[in-house]
Amino acid sequence: MSALVLLSVVGVVLLYLGLFGRRTALAATGVAGLLGTIALIATGWHLESPLFAGIVRFDGPARAYTLLMAGATVLLFLFGVDYYARMQRNVAEQYALMLFSLVGGILIVSFSNLVMLFLGIEILSIPLYILAGGKRDSFRSGEAAFKYFVQGSFASGFLLMGLALVYGATGSFDLAAIGTWSADAAHGHDTVFLLGLLLTLAGLAFKLAAVPFHFWSPDVYEGSPTLITAFMSTVVKTAAFAAFHRFIAALHLPDAVGTMLLTMTVLTLFLGNVVALRQTQFKRLMAYSSIAHTGFLLLALVGGDPRSGDVLFYYLAAYTLATVGLFIILTLAKRAAQGEEHIRIFRGLFRERPWVAVAALLMLLSLAGIPFTAGFVAKYRVFMLGLAGGHVLITFFAVAMALLGIYYYALVVREAFAPREQEGGTLAVAPLNWLVITLCGVGVVALAVWPVALP
Amino acid sequence: MDQGIITAIRTVPLDHYVLLSFLLFGIGAAGVALRRNTIIVLMCIELMFNSVNLLLAAFSAHHSDPRGQVFVFFIMLVAAAEVTVGLSILVMMKRIVDSVDVNQLNRLKG
Repeated sequence: MSALVLLSVVGVVLLYLGLFGRRTALAATGVAGLLGTIALIATGWHLESPLFAGIVRFDGPARAYTLLMAGATVLLFLFGVDYYARMQRNVAEQYALMLFSLVGGILIVSFSNLVMLFLGIEILSIPLYILAGGKRDSFRSGEAAFKYFVQGSFASGFLLMGLALVYGATGSFDLAAIGTWSADAAHGHDTVFLLGLLLTLAGLAFKLAAVPFHFWSPDVYEGSPTLITAFMSTVVKTAAFAAFHRFIAALHLPDAVGTMLLTMTVLTLFLGNVVALRQTQFKRLMAYSSIAHTGFLLLALVGGDPRSGDVLFYYLAAYTLATVGLFIILTLAKRAAQGEEHIRIFRGLFRERPWVAVAALLMLLSLAGIPFTAGFVAKYRVFMLGLAGGHVLITFFAVAMALLGIYYYALVVREAFAPREQEGGTLAVAPLNWLVITLCGVGVVALAVWPVALP
Repeated sequence: MDQGIITAIRTVPLDHYVLLSFLLFGIGAAGVALRRNTIIVLMCIELMFNSVNLLLAAFSAHHSDPRGQVFVFFIMLVAAAEVTVGLSILVMMKRIVDSVDVNQLNRLKG
């Protein structure tokens, strides 16, 4: 409760700071609020769980995911100091909306009632529709906002229909009560319940950008302002996966749902990796890479293993660190190349900024899953879970897809370390950006030796 | 809730509510997928939400459980918030391309 109140109040304070034109104080206030939230969650001061008549429970995983999301938002706010420096108007709103969205994220990683799941997803999504259209005069940003809005609302419709059917079958919105109901063998073949589950999971899969529910996700990632794309592919993805896992782990899933999850995993792995091979625009490459990683994350969940929560958290932490850092480097390189996004903008990076290039290398290797990085450990743990769950064929397929994935990350690495042919603009790195890039670069290696286990 | 309304809702079998909701939901979903005019798309999204409201109210009455109807209020609130944001996005789009046709939004390939 204390953390939710603090974040919401800080969001409102930011809006007032914007109203009175205190632009320099925005990021600092936001970061202070986020650090306060992290402290409150970590110490558990006035946590008050269960909250709101038992529809929110801050258990171990919920608190761990909250820390991860708040930490990622801190990194993005530090990046925002430089990113929003040239923006003339409405900077305060950007920070405030990100905080409001984060509140939604915290609510869905800690829900224990389906009503809260729906409300949390909407609190998470509605600010994002606005943020995607944050560049008000840019066509691409407007298109991304519209597509994200239609896709998100469409998904919410399916989610709601699913929740209504689950309620109709079980007579309750409480996750524990539905879990008890679904464990009863007599209810194993209830059609209404099954249909409800399938629609609910489809609605959530839209938020995860899992194939075949990915629709316009690559367009949204490409068109949104880069900082918001980074927010979507880290904080929002973390929240959506945590909620997805929380939902399916609490229920006794019918076989048909297991088949649906497996099909989704295979399709996501295949499409994400294969389409990423053809991409030459870096932002779009990252969008398909994000879909590919959704596939690996889904593979961690399908087995229903009790350890899958730990693996999921570890994978998301590794992915978040690498993604935030790479999007910052993309922004800097894009600026030096006058707004171009083709991967050749990284050419000559090593000559010009050796340390940034090395950090980019570490993050790309981590995403590709090369040994001695967190990404490798994460993928290895996912594959072990897949084998333990008895999905041998699918695990081998995932390994093949991971090997395929190395190719498109290697293309970017090659560009970064190739000498530049003609002189371009110089790459300026602000001290705060340098700090975040360093944190992310070191983080993806340091995380490899830190065995994360959720409380 | 007033007992008379519950009895009135229950005079129609539950299956009929479910079928009607599915029909409305299907019309809404098909509209979002097929229509070109973004304002119609917005209305179809509302139709999807409201078909769920109808279903929840029917389930709630048949289960004699008020929680389903409380959820309906939450959905109405969220739908209002969504439509506010959706309409402002439409205004932004109208300002940029001077049209409300979905097909105008095609510069991001996909």
